[in-house]
Amino acid sequence: MLYALIAGVLFGLYYALIGLGLNLTFGVLRMVNLAHGDFVMIGGFAAVTAFSAWHLHPLWSLVLVAVLIFAVGIALYYVLVPRIAATKDPEMISLVLFFGLSQVIEALAVMRFGNNAQSIYEPVFGKAPVSILGQPFPAVWVVSGLVSLLALLLVYLYLYRTRIGYSTRAVMASREEAEVSGISVHKVSAIAFAIGLGLAAAAGALAPFMLGGITPDLGVGLTVTAFAVIVLGSLGNPIGTVAGGLIYGIALMLMQTYLPSWSALLPYLLLLLVLLVKPSGLFGRQVRSA
Amino acid sequence: MKQLRRYLFGLAGVAALLIAGCGSTTSTTTTSTAPKDITIGTLYAGSGSYATSSLPELAGLKFWMNQVNKDGGVFVKAYNKKIPVKLVDYNDQSDPNTAQTLYTQLITQNKVNILVSDFGSVLTSVAVPIAQEHKMVLFDPTGTGASFFTPTNPYIVLTGLPTSAVWPDNLAKYLLAQNYKNIAIVYAENDFDQSQDQTLTTQLKAGGVTPVYNQGVPTTTSNYDVIIHNIAATNPDAVLELGYPNNDIAFLQNLAASGQHFGFLFTIFPGQLFSLLEQNVGAKTLTDTYTYPTPPLLAYNSGVNYGMTISQFTQAFQSANGSAPNFLDIAGYNTGLAIQKTLETAKSLSQLDLRAAAGKIHMFTLDGDFTINSEGAQMGETLPVGQIQASGSGLKTVIIYPTSVATGSAVH
Repeated sequence: MLYALIAGVLFGLYYALIGLGLNLTFGVLRMVNLAHGDFVMIGGFAAVTAFSAWHLHPLWSLVLVAVLIFAVGIALYYVLVPRIAATKDPEMISLVLFFGLSQVIEALAVMRFGNNAQSIYEPVFGKAPVSILGQPFPAVWVVSGLVSLLALLLVYLYLYRTRIGYSTRAVMASREEAEVSGISVHKVSAIAFAIGLGLAAAAGALAPFMLGGITPDLGVGLTVTAFAVIVLGSLGNPIGTVAGGLIYGIALMLMQTYLPSWSALLPYLLLLLVLLVKPSGLFGRQVRSA
Repeated sequence: MKQLRRYLFGLAGVAALLIAGCGSTTSTTTTSTAPKDITIGTLYAGSGSYATSSLPELAGLKFWMNQVNKDGGVFVKAYNKKIPVKLVDYNDQSDPNTAQTLYTQLITQNKVNILVSDFGSVLTSVAVPIAQEHKMVLFDPTGTGASFFTPTNPYIVLTGLPTSAVWPDNLAKYLLAQNYKNIAIVYAENDFDQSQDQTLTTQLKAGGVTPVYNQGVPTTTSNYDVIIHNIAATNPDAVLELGYPNNDIAFLQNLAASGQHFGFLFTIFPGQLFSLLEQNVGAKTLTDTYTYPTPPLLAYNSGVNYGMTISQFTQAFQSANGSAPNFLDIAGYNTGLAIQKTLETAKSLSQLDLRAAAGKIHMFTLDGDFTINSEGAQMGETLPVGQIQASGSGLKTVIIYPTSVATGSAVH
């Protein structure tokens, strides 16, 4: 039981990292990026390739791929989002467009990396397990938990301690009011979108250790799980994602311990439960109608 | 007026006969004119979780087709001549729903002569009822789920492997012979792995051993850390993980990272996709683990009386495709051989005649002894138990059980 709980916290922090970028994107753009999981997959393949080609430590790959995908995210935003925003039904169009983008990325990954699973089996984070409350855990789980916490802290500092972060929160509260008050909504949104993708890619660099072999079709399933995590925490509230991730992680590990057959259903069960009991999510704010 | 009525009744009768005729023909050609080619319809997973296994299987089937066509085609007894083989293949992207539509399309639109299912039990499970409904024999290379083979379904022939319920036969005997008492089993929940688990537990219980841990997990499971911890808590002396390649990779990776060590560890796919597993989990993790060795690890060179031997196939396949074959390439090729032998002996191309001919095949190929039972299940190609052992700077697979085919003994 104790092992499952601690494993759930560590695994949950990792899923919070995966979901964080998706929630940031949704919070700012009000669009669900259905290609989010594919950027995790890209990060995974990048880490595997960099390790096998240059023996680059996955933590270095994590930083490099996050920066690279951040830059890609800025470009992608200006190519896609203003056009979607100008349509009559941007939410629906964005769903279709990001789904298409997901399919394209997956197809390109198949062409580049093939269909076989790829991973890093060398003990780059140390051979010995790390003991937490007397329970031994793979060292990479602890590293992953720490990296996730650091990323969550950086996002928190960005949102609550920087000028552009204040603007981001203003856009999250009301896009129109932020625009009227002189905030460059597109600039703020582009940065948030790019951070979201960068975080996904960073999580991807740890995926070969947390999720087994990386395959091109990894993205869709991860997007679904990340979506469940952010709905649980509350859509549009990046900090709520941490709670969503922890609940998901602990529930998954308890399921694997006591009801392993049902563990694949968990994201969907949690989604249903939240939608039935508290549709705004655990950290969702009450909306007052005038 | 009376004449007109008779004329109309006559027309209606002819139309009814034509419609009934159309309904019953599907693709069961029974005309005496030889077709221009024998069309084989199959699906493959070009992407998704089964692509790793499906693509080599398709490559093996294509290799067989090219070999046959080089010689002017396959000999069809029904027409007493050689007829070229044509392949119609669609990509199901590892999705059973897509596969369902495409199998139907192969039968109803392409009207193929021979239907071959995609890799494995998941993508074959949707083909079985479709083939049965359309009265079409399904040549099944690797869909070994025991539930596919029933006395009421005469439209299936398993070509590449025994039914999965038969797979663990030697494994269970070996575990009992070695006096393992605390056995832990974790299996992926699909026909392929579940039927192996059922056979294992039944045989072990008959031998007086009840597994200390026996849990199913979703086939999509990609992290086994907590499960490994729970297994370790039962102090097993033998651990069996039954899954697909991605399950085996995740399990072995997590086990290596956990620092746990089990005295006897068995996984399925190192015996079929050795290179893939070695690339993903490393030689050290595989060393001293157990598996079912399949060709080419299990090398049938003597006694082969139909098709190429393993050595001949390996050489020819490598020169044609530029890479060494794995078991699934061989399974695809072996399916081609089964089709070839069926066509050589069937008295017509009607599906029931094809099935009857397949039922009478007795041949020894590079995949072993080909014998199917009355339900279409492969019974000849039994799987021994092997151990992956260190050999110089690399690894080798040693067959350790049954002793009649053993090439060495286990290292503990």
